[in-house]
Amino acid sequence: MLFWVIAAILTLGASLAVLLPLAGASKGAPSSGDHDLEVYRDQLAELDRDAARGLIGPAEAAEARAEIARRILRLGNADPAGETSGRSASVTARLVATVAVLAVPLVSWGLYSQIGSPDLPSQPLSDRLAKNPADSSVDELVARAEAHLAANPSDGRGWDVLAPVYLRMQRFADAAAAYRNAIRLDGDSAVRQAGLGEAIAGAAGGIVSADAQDAFEAALKLDPANAKASFYLAMALAQEGRGKEAAAAWQAMLGTLPPDSPWRGAVEQALAKSGGPEVASGAAAKGPDAADVDAASSMSPQDTEAMINTMVAGLDDKLRQNPRDPEGWMRLVRSYVVLGKTDQARDALGRAIAVFGADSDEARKFTAFAASLGLTATE
Amino acid sequence: MTRKQKRLSVIVGGLAFLAAATSLTFYALGQKASYFYMPADLTTASVQPGQRIRLGGLVEKGTIQRGQGATVAFSVTDTHKSVKVTYTGILPDLFREEQGVITEGTFGTDGVFVADSVLAKHDERYMPKEVADGLKAKGVWQESKSE
Amino acid sequence: MVETGHFALVLAFALSLVQTVVPLFGARLNNQRLMAVGGPVAVTGFALTALSFAALASAYASSDFSLATVWENSHSLQPLIYKITGTWGNHEGSMLLWVLILTFFGALVAAFGSNLPATLRANVLAVQGAIGATFFLFILATSNPFIRLNPPPIEGRDLNPILQDLGLAIHPPLLYLGYVGFSICFSFSVAALIEGRIDASWARWVRPWTLVAWMFLTGGIAMGSYWAYYELGWGGFWFWDPVENASFMPWLAGTALLHSAIVMEKRSALKIWTLLLAILTFSLSLLGTFLVRSGVLTSVHAFATDPTRGVFILCILTLFIGGSLALFALRASKLTAGGLFHPISREGALVLNNLFLTTATATVLVGTLYPLAVEAFSADKISVGAPFFNLTFAPLMVPLLVMVPFGPLLAWKRGDVFGVAQRLMVAFAAALLATLVTALFIDGASVLAALGVGLAVWLILGALTDLAVKAGLGNAAAPIMVRRLVGLPRSVFGTAFAHLGLGLTVLGIVGTLCFGTEKILSMHAGEIVEISGRTVRFVGLYPAQGPNYSEDRGRFELIGVSGSPIGEISSAKRFYPVRQMTTTESGIKTIGLSQLYLSLGDEGKDGSVVVRLWWKPLVTLIWGGGLVMMAGAAMSLMDRRLRVGAPSRRRKQAVAPAGLP
Repeated sequence: MLFWVIAAILTLGASLAVLLPLAGASKGAPSSGDHDLEVYRDQLAELDRDAARGLIGPAEAAEARAEIARRILRLGNADPAGETSGRSASVTARLVATVAVLAVPLVSWGLYSQIGSPDLPSQPLSDRLAKNPADSSVDELVARAEAHLAANPSDGRGWDVLAPVYLRMQRFADAAAAYRNAIRLDGDSAVRQAGLGEAIAGAAGGIVSADAQDAFEAALKLDPANAKASFYLAMALAQEGRGKEAAAAWQAMLGTLPPDSPWRGAVEQALAKSGGPEVASGAAAKGPDAADVDAASSMSPQDTEAMINTMVAGLDDKLRQNPRDPEGWMRLVRSYVVLGKTDQARDALGRAIAVFGADSDEARKFTAFAASLGLTATE
Repeated sequence: MTRKQKRLSVIVGGLAFLAAATSLTFYALGQKASYFYMPADLTTASVQPGQRIRLGGLVEKGTIQRGQGATVAFSVTDTHKSVKVTYTGILPDLFREEQGVITEGTFGTDGVFVADSVLAKHDERYMPKEVADGLKAKGVWQESKSE
Repeated sequence: MVETGHFALVLAFALSLVQTVVPLFGARLNNQRLMAVGGPVAVTGFALTALSFAALASAYASSDFSLATVWENSHSLQPLIYKITGTWGNHEGSMLLWVLILTFFGALVAAFGSNLPATLRANVLAVQGAIGATFFLFILATSNPFIRLNPPPIEGRDLNPILQDLGLAIHPPLLYLGYVGFSICFSFSVAALIEGRIDASWARWVRPWTLVAWMFLTGGIAMGSYWAYYELGWGGFWFWDPVENASFMPWLAGTALLHSAIVMEKRSALKIWTLLLAILTFSLSLLGTFLVRSGVLTSVHAFATDPTRGVFILCILTLFIGGSLALFALRASKLTAGGLFHPISREGALVLNNLFLTTATATVLVGTLYPLAVEAFSADKISVGAPFFNLTFAPLMVPLLVMVPFGPLLAWKRGDVFGVAQRLMVAFAAALLATLVTALFIDGASVLAALGVGLAVWLILGALTDLAVKAGLGNAAAPIMVRRLVGLPRSVFGTAFAHLGLGLTVLGIVGTLCFGTEKILSMHAGEIVEISGRTVRFVGLYPAQGPNYSEDRGRFELIGVSGSPIGEISSAKRFYPVRQMTTTESGIKTIGLSQLYLSLGDEGKDGSVVVRLWWKPLVTLIWGGGLVMMAGAAMSLMDRRLRVGAPSRRRKQAVAPAGLP
């Protein structure tokens, strides 16, 4: 409501700026010839000052004076002052004036109604973060935690809480940084090291790199029973092509895992796939708690799905802008498969292959990767 | 000289000046403009060793080798062909494997391109425009149809 | 209050339409009331645009991600200063800044133009209104900064890290003040063409506006050059990049305009030429906006595939450049030409200046547009860079620079070259001496370098000679001389300072290009390197955390003669996680007028770091000269005679009391 009042006041002010001069009394103005004469007189005065100061020699001064005089004389021959306005002219003038006064509100309100969003209030970030936490979305809660940590970067517990949330949101780089901060501030722990490893692997599209392996090994050193670390180290073996050793490691895990461990399913799945021609690098590299769908328990299922969809759409967007990112493409394809959007997954695969060329190494990698997810390219 | 002759000589002088400037400009355009090539273009174009050109493409994966001091060797590829490049100096911040790059310099007699400047200048797509256009022309890179 | 800003923008567009049409009709019909509309509408339009801009800036400052541009170009963790400067660090916001400045200048004409003839004032405001209307339409149709997102994202995508810098924050406003300042000269020229007569007060208005625009443009270019120097980490100060050329061309043309406007004001000559030059200068400003804003530089093809913005700007360009030149062709013959003069005179020197400057402008224009033309009409891609400009631009500039000291000393109308040469003997001898000393006593100086130093000294002393001669050096006693020096019109000081600044810039360029040294090496912590007699020790790499980035800071120490550190320099590699971008922060130590410049490269496997060091002698003079030029322009502006656009109201009534009905 307030907005409309302000808009109305602004429009009124703008219209008055047009209306008042039109309604004002018609002042006479000197003709342009008179105006020129004044300018020349001013120049003559300036010339005299210059000559008095000695800036200009007497000969030059005389010459310049003669020239200005010539200009003044020439003025007399100039055309007489503007012609008087006749009846038809005053009709036109009235018409122009009317149209102008009407144009201001019509154009502004007409155009604004087309392109404006009058019902959307301003939403400064600080106001949004100051809302009651119960009304906030996960994104907003995370942003609030980030703001808190930006102000208190040495709050190790804060990083520790935020890191797994980042992991679930697939913000792997942030998750890795958060885990590192937690380890730096609150000390080493198997859970943190394993989380760090998972974050590094996630950032690389599921590839368990040397850095990630280091982290997992550190975790095992602290807690030999850490299932996540064992699982990923086996995955690393599988990714290196040492399928048999990987299978053996997983088998060993099955022997030691408690019967109700959430890792059982993942290990069995991995074992089943390791029998296949090529080990799916990324797909199985997701432990159960990173199965992105199973996000924060505080979220309703609709929220969760919306969050994931936004994240995937964001990734898709990023790849449209920066398409030469093989890991990104694999993550996108996998995400679509996980969401059950097979058509979109296929489309993403097609685009990924198109980016790198059908006969490139990447394209072959993509095809194999997709096959491991049970997806075939359209061609 | 009469007034007319004076005016004429001023006009002639001005025109001669403009003619000289114009011919210098076009001479310089012919001499100093450097052409842009992608590695695959080099087979058809005849580029002499010592002729200054700009070579663009993607930094081939796994080819970056840091040598003595600040000298770096890498290959520039357009996925069809690739060319070895050496460069001494600091690589730009956006120089990465599989990212677009433009190098400027000359070919040595051994067929290695010696670059004296490396640009990884980018637009929002992180791709130098010539490289993007060249890759598109070769059907390697497709601009996603954004809505 | 975001939507209030949006509405104010739309309202300002509506007013600009009124400002275009009503005063124009008023001038044609000689209707006082219609003409009177121009002023209040221009002022109100400016107020509304300012309101709109303030709304956008506050949205940026408060991280209101419900605006698409804020989301795309800002981040909640950015320091407040970069949140605010981010307002114009993107296409949409910078276009809004453009019209804000345009309406501001329009409002100034409205506010201070009451002593102009009514029809001229009305026509000027109408042309200003037309420029404003097209740009408002451009913003609303293709680049609206007030597009909303609902629901708003929680975090923005961050401003491009290389733009998160104070230098680049003030560069665009300065540049736009320059570009848009020329719009006033343009409007006055087109108004004169519409009226079919050049008013005597024309020159008096055009000259200060040219000065203002030129001053800001000089500052903008210098600031942009310094930014590129320290932020891009390459140590170069000018790249002949199309974006730089886009601002350099209006500057060259504007410099020519500045000089021809003097002839016109003082001697009523070169009227038509000055008018054309004013049109061309603003056309080049528009072209600069087009080149940078349309995406045509990124790729001709990108432009062809997403043409909305580009085609729109191309239409604006065609409308204003084509329209004004067509008007010029039709009406120029109606205008009365100015007086004649002797070739050897101040006027003659200024004509020569114009000839060189416009030719140089044309050269830069050809070099900038030629690659675009080649790319558009053939499959070839070429680049025209420094080698081309060195070959064409330098031969045009050197003779011009040699002639600069002569100009201000020549008399109007009929000059005496030999007399002037005699007065310049001291400067010439000193320049010769500087050349010889450089050639003989400085290691590694080439003949060209020595001549360059000589040229710079010639310019600097030439400018000082001008002041000394005008103060009566040699034929008056010292106290009289001082009194005369103080009494000199400010514009004389303005000229001298502008030329002095030019000399300083030349000296800086020659010093840096000819005597600078460079070293690239890989260093371990504790290692020592020597460059141009200065010793630098690499202390080590230290990680650090900024508000929205993390960095590896390389610390270096400058070692004095005694072996103890006398100063610290640090250069950093910064990583901005939001955009996943790395930037290099160069380390600069100013020693006298020279600088030690170093920048970090990649870290090697063995813990060594590639370091690039430069010794850049006199480099600060390049931009310092620019500042002196700006100071010169400011002095000229403060000249009382220039400030009075025309006789004041009070005087007017005294002189011509008959206010005709």
